[in-house]
Amino acid sequence: MQGKRIDREKLEGALKGFLKEPGQLIFGFGRKGGLVTHRMYRDDLHGFSMFNPYFSINGATLFRRVFSKDVKVLLMLRPCEIRSIVELIKLNQIEPEGITTLSIDCPGTVSLGAERDGLPDDPFEAKDYMVEHRDGMRWACTVCRERRGVVGDLGIRMAGDKSLWAFPYTEKGKAFLATIEVPEEEFKGGFLLGEDKKDAEPFATDMGTFSSELSRCILCKNCRDMCPICYCIDCLFNGDEYLPKGDALLNKIIRKGTDDLPEGRELFHMVRLYHVSQTCVGCGACEEACPQKIPLTKYFKGISERLQGMFSYMSGRDVKEIIPYLTFKEDELKDAED
Amino acid sequence: MEENRDKGPEIVGFACSYCTFKASEMAGSLRMKYPEGIRVIQVPCSSRVDPAFVIKAILEGADGVFVAGCHPGDCHFIKGNFFTRRKIAALKEMFKAFSMDGRLKLFWVSAAEARRFVDKVTTMYKELKEERDAGKKN
Ligand code: SF4
Ligand code: SF4
Repeated sequence: MQGKRIDREKLEGALKGFLKEPGQLIFGFGRKGGLVTHRMYRDDLHGFSMFNPYFSINGATLFRRVFSKDVKVLLMLRPCEIRSIVELIKLNQIEPEGITTLSIDCPGTVSLGAERDGLPDDPFEAKDYMVEHRDGMRWACTVCRERRGVVGDLGIRMAGDKSLWAFPYTEKGKAFLATIEVPEEEFKGGFLLGEDKKDAEPFATDMGTFSSELSRCILCKNCRDMCPICYCIDCLFNGDEYLPKGDALLNKIIRKGTDDLPEGRELFHMVRLYHVSQTCVGCGACEEACPQKIPLTKYFKGISERLQGMFSYMSGRDVKEIIPYLTFKEDELKDAED
Repeated sequence: MEENRDKGPEIVGFACSYCTFKASEMAGSLRMKYPEGIRVIQVPCSSRVDPAFVIKAILEGADGVFVAGCHPGDCHFIKGNFFTRRKIAALKEMFKAFSMDGRLKLFWVSAAEARRFVDKVTTMYKELKEERDAGKKN
């Protein structure tokens, strides 16, 4: 594979060069006190962080509904964030013309709630930290499907010999790579982060378990609001129109002879599970946002991988792959017909 | 609000107005019988059915839901039912993951197939009833 062996200085040189052009911005990470957060850079790279070991929100959530064609933005984010951006492009929620996406190898992240200041923002150091403190890693990261910087227009990867490499995946990626002032060469070594193995068993649960895990849910809908790809302005669950209440509530109890309340929480979450089933990247932003600490990622990741698997689809892998619900084959899925 | 404790299962069906819904009307005018607990909702195309409708019906008390449209290739809107098949197949897979398979069916019934409509819904009704009776015994 052709790429460039880079270091932080060379990369920053190219990024600074990018910012010199008028109307060009970089969306990435930067230090803020003891933490690292998302940051937009306009004139200089002051406080720039290559990597962010803290997961607060998925950066794509901030970036959706960017339609400007005149501003050029370079996005340097974690793979799950770039994958969300790719899905949003497919859903016409981001205009791709002006943006270049760069994914960086991600050794995993910790929750902001973990209250650990001063974690390293260098990917190699972050990797060492995560190896030592694996129990502090977010659950979503321990089961991440794609932590490698192999998505978007170009990727930054950590080689086994602790050298840093940049690889282009598209024409836009090649254009940015050309501005890094080192020669291209053939990469022959191995990578620090390997491909993730797939779960052998498809995810399965039952309504009883699901209901009891949701029993602490207060329907605040934070999980939806912080979901990078749950973007509908007219969500069914805005207000309470779609939730069972009033007559619908009495209806079930009287007609069905049950005293179980209709499952409003289950309804909200199952509809969302289905709606994001092909586009969910399993980043765990929903779980981060949940004040009740409900293990949402398990369900969202489990269901979405199972449903994406039906169509050999993987969200965010490639901007040219069509979202399965938006296309079809004439001769398929015969066993779904009754 | 009537009680339905001892009656049979209740099924909500979403039927395309160009085919299955017509078939259900024809079944009525030919005085064919199908079980009482089946409520048919007319939709302009089977692909109009957002899986959210199905989930809502099930969670608010329906024992089963069917989505029915024209045979593949015969859609009034040319390709609506191909999208339906993808969406409903995926929804069935999700129900399977929740151990709720059998509660959702996908039928293709043309406007001329009143008999097929009655057969399909009656079979579904019977299956759900058997399951329910078996559940009562345990
Ligand atoms: S989900 Fe994957 S890509 Fe996202 S922060 Fe965790 S390990 Fe990194
Ligand atoms: S964030 Fe948590 S409590 Fe709020 S709606 Fe989502 S699951 Fe329920």
